[in-house]
Amino acid sequence: MGKRKVGALEKVDADLANLQYKVKRDPASYRDDFLSQYSQYETFKELFMQNPSTVEDTGLVSLKELIEFVSHCADCYPDITAEFPQDLIKILSLHHEELEMELREKMVGSLVLLRNKDVIDSSTLLNTLFPILVTTPSKSLRELMFTKILSDLKSSNTKATNHKLNRTIQTVLFNLLTSDRASPKGIWAVKITRELWKRQIWAEAKAVEIMKEASLADNEKVITGGVRFFLGGDKEREEAAEESSDDDENIDMSKLRHQAGINKKTKKKERQLKMAAEKVKKKEKKKSAPHPLNFSALHLLHDPQGFAETLFSKHVQNSRSKLSLDSKLLVLQLVSRLVGLHKLTVIALYSYFLKYLTPRQASVTSFLACLAQATHNLVPPDVLEPLIQKIANEFVSEAAAAEVAAAGLNSIREICVRQPLAMNDTLLQDLVMYRKSKDKGVMMAAKGLLSLYREVGAELLKKRDRGKDAAIGLRTGEVRERRFGEEEAGEIEGIELLEKWKEDERRKKRIEQGLDPDAPTDEEEVEAEDWKNWDVESDDSDSSTGWINVESDGEDINISDSEDEKEPPAKKTKLSSTTPGADGEEKENISKSEEPEAKRISKLATTRILTPADLAKLQELRLASSVTSAMPSNKRRAAMAARHADDPLTAAEIEAPGLLGKKSTKEEKIAMAKGERDEHHQSTTAKRKEKKASEGKSTTNKEKARKKNFLMTLGKAKGKQKRSLIDVKKTLKGHLDRQKRGGKRGNQGH
Amino acid sequence: MGGASARKKKEKKKDFQKPKLKVGKAKPKATNFTDTSFKAKSIVLTQQSLSANAPSVAAQCSHHLSMLTHKSDSQRKESLAYLTTAITSTRPGFPLPQPSSIILPSVQRLILDASNGVRQQLLKLLQSLPKNDIVSHSDQLLLHTRAGMTHLATEIRVFALDVLEWLLGAAGDEVVSCAGGWVKMLKCFIGLLGWQIEVSGKWSAPKSFGKAGGDAKVQVKQMTALTTFLRVGLVPSRGAVPVEVEGGNFPLWQAGHNSLSQRSNAYAYLNLFGASRDEEAEMYEDREDRQRVFHDRAEAAIFAGLEQATKGGGELGRAAAQLRKVVREGMADFHSEV
Repeated sequence: MGKRKVGALEKVDADLANLQYKVKRDPASYRDDFLSQYSQYETFKELFMQNPSTVEDTGLVSLKELIEFVSHCADCYPDITAEFPQDLIKILSLHHEELEMELREKMVGSLVLLRNKDVIDSSTLLNTLFPILVTTPSKSLRELMFTKILSDLKSSNTKATNHKLNRTIQTVLFNLLTSDRASPKGIWAVKITRELWKRQIWAEAKAVEIMKEASLADNEKVITGGVRFFLGGDKEREEAAEESSDDDENIDMSKLRHQAGINKKTKKKERQLKMAAEKVKKKEKKKSAPHPLNFSALHLLHDPQGFAETLFSKHVQNSRSKLSLDSKLLVLQLVSRLVGLHKLTVIALYSYFLKYLTPRQASVTSFLACLAQATHNLVPPDVLEPLIQKIANEFVSEAAAAEVAAAGLNSIREICVRQPLAMNDTLLQDLVMYRKSKDKGVMMAAKGLLSLYREVGAELLKKRDRGKDAAIGLRTGEVRERRFGEEEAGEIEGIELLEKWKEDERRKKRIEQGLDPDAPTDEEEVEAEDWKNWDVESDDSDSSTGWINVESDGEDINISDSEDEKEPPAKKTKLSSTTPGADGEEKENISKSEEPEAKRISKLATTRILTPADLAKLQELRLASSVTSAMPSNKRRAAMAARHADDPLTAAEIEAPGLLGKKSTKEEKIAMAKGERDEHHQSTTAKRKEKKASEGKSTTNKEKARKKNFLMTLGKAKGKQKRSLIDVKKTLKGHLDRQKRGGKRGNQGH
Repeated sequence: MGGASARKKKEKKKDFQKPKLKVGKAKPKATNFTDTSFKAKSIVLTQQSLSANAPSVAAQCSHHLSMLTHKSDSQRKESLAYLTTAITSTRPGFPLPQPSSIILPSVQRLILDASNGVRQQLLKLLQSLPKNDIVSHSDQLLLHTRAGMTHLATEIRVFALDVLEWLLGAAGDEVVSCAGGWVKMLKCFIGLLGWQIEVSGKWSAPKSFGKAGGDAKVQVKQMTALTTFLRVGLVPSRGAVPVEVEGGNFPLWQAGHNSLSQRSNAYAYLNLFGASRDEEAEMYEDREDRQRVFHDRAEAAIFAGLEQATKGGGELGRAAAQLRKVVREGMADFHSEV
């Protein structure tokens, strides 16, 4: 008996958790106890440091527990524990390889705890953890370090962006990558940066710079990590943002409050209600917050030309680079993406493709997609011409398989969308003939090419292939071939309609006033009126009463140069060599104008600020003139425009027409209809039962009673009916008694 | 229409067909036969001891040494008891069944053992060890003792004092002069007795956690231990080595000073390989150093604490008087010098 008692006593005495609780409530009173525990910790540490690899399991308290205790109380006694974080850091960084696993994890956890208590700062913590992450051979420790580093970076950036910390860590990562380009350690820089980019914690050029260095490394893993970031990082970020925004779907507060009024009131329910209210509030706040402006990584690059050139020459063109075909393709995708997006000039890239454009080349569609992606309107057509010729020769022939021909035609179309000048008439007329093909994929691809050239280069087609629109356009001179390097002038769609409308209104007004309609107006008077009618004009456009229209001329503020002001707006026309896009709504304008082929450029937008009322009118005019936009060619153009310039061209898109003619099997159809949902319906009870069974747990007594064979329960039931009243009373009393006691044995303990 | 098809009938029948036995041929194997034969290059039976004669004492000792980490209290205790008898039963002059350098490192952890019986048995074992062997392990033992003295459990704290007394008796000089042996121990004692100067400013005397029951007794014990410790450290040993008659080995004068020291690790104070030490962890090898440090860091605190303890009277007062006497005696020449 004595032995038992001693054991219990010891347990009470050696209860560090208890002491910790007391210390936290009243640090001053327990200072002595803490001191003695701290000296205990110091002694243990000294013992431990003599042989760090030992697994110590001494008696009641171990070093691990002491470390936990001290780190929890460290903020109460900063003077005593001044050395403690440094001790931990020293032990960890010197002996992390040989430390026992649990102790090591405890040390890392304690350091993070100290950071959370603000005993040490983030940069100290990260500067400790990061070198260990990079050097340790233990996988579990690496995982732990990675999560801790990420969570610390995240938490120190929650309230406001911690620029200083971010900058130091980014510099550390950058140096890690640049100091030894061949080492695989750089993968950690890539992983951390990518994760933080995904969570929008890092969204600036410096992070992109890190990834740029990673892509230019010598280690294949690091290279692919960096390249994949540029190819997919932004999409990942968008998806993550979307996911987080539809996490907490509509919480119906009134319903919850109503339920709280009816249902049993427990602390838990109360807490849940409070949490829900908080969530709703947060969501509201988020809704009103301005949308974060996120630039894609590709746009944040400094010197994309240099980057693309080095990537290409180092990893792709270089015969000594040992990248596998897959990684090489990734790099090539990035290079071509950069070239296409920033309209770079990397001439060597195109001749490089020549070797790979055969149907037997592995993943040739990716090469084709890359080639198309790397094409833009500033690529010299004579560079592209041999490539198109080669694709036509290798892929598009009667002898080639249908899918191959379709892919070839489609890739030619994709190239020519971006640079129409790369095509010559004989080849085009040849290729267009394939629209008579029996295979649906080939036929559609050829039709695609045909409809493209009806718009961008109808004179290359045979006369009967040109179609009505293009033929008329050619005859009137409206459709013209774009020359090399020629750019479409930027403009506001429908601005000339607005200008014309304004001119008409002005004339009307002046006629009413009895003035010469063509004389210039006094601008100042107009300006004053304009500020008055900043927003009101919107209904005014509908009303046809003449006297309201009086003001409408002076809606604009004149901010132009003095020479312009002297000129009347009607004479603000200028001959221009450029042709804006042949939009349908301009036809009206052209027919009235004296010089049909040289269109005037509206000066309205360059000389005045458009008020909201103006913009509303503009929208109305646009709608009125958009009868033409319902035509199929316009629809196609709209679809092209909807495709974002940042979006990549994938191999799947190149292969798409080839799949048109293919018949899918029943299984494929079913799988397609099902989509990615694969969960089958199951009731909550069934799920719970399954979970219990998988945990190796048995059923409850209730369940057993329910499942018991009916015949086995008969005897007991019969006996119950035959009992005397005294017996029944006894049982009932016994039941009550047991309930009070809390079970057969009770819980007073014996 | 009429019943199952012929094919199905045949299939059913197949299950019940008897295999035909033929003369001179092996019996055919059943379809569900499992081949259980196996081949192995050698078979090792781990359970069986093949030695013909009983294990030697040394072997048994090493076995019991390994049993010291056993999870059962009684097993640890028994192993300690076995080792104790093995040591005491060796005749003087003969080597121990296992050298002390092997026994001590595995035994010393048990100072912090949770079980009282184990600890008591450990003390017996320690006392049975020859004193000369303790000397070279004194610093390790002291570390464990100090860990015990600051332990959360009162019992272990008290027990560690017993170990300390034994240790001081066995290798007193080494204990007070080893690295960290002087200052850290003093600090530890002051902490245990609650005599820190810095907290004395508070108006309410804090009640210490985990010291309930027999507080005074424990304190008396701590003070006696401190007395012993200070006596070893400060008071010059009375039976000082008589000055050797010089010229015993005639041509070599003062040969003793020039020859290598007899102690192990004679240049430990240079600390060539360890981590750098601060004032607390430094070695204080001669008495004057210890006196100086004692004066700087502990004397005031101890006198302040003694004042209180003497007021307490009784057992406590007596112990305090003893302690005061030792301190006076030890510091007499230091103060007279100053």
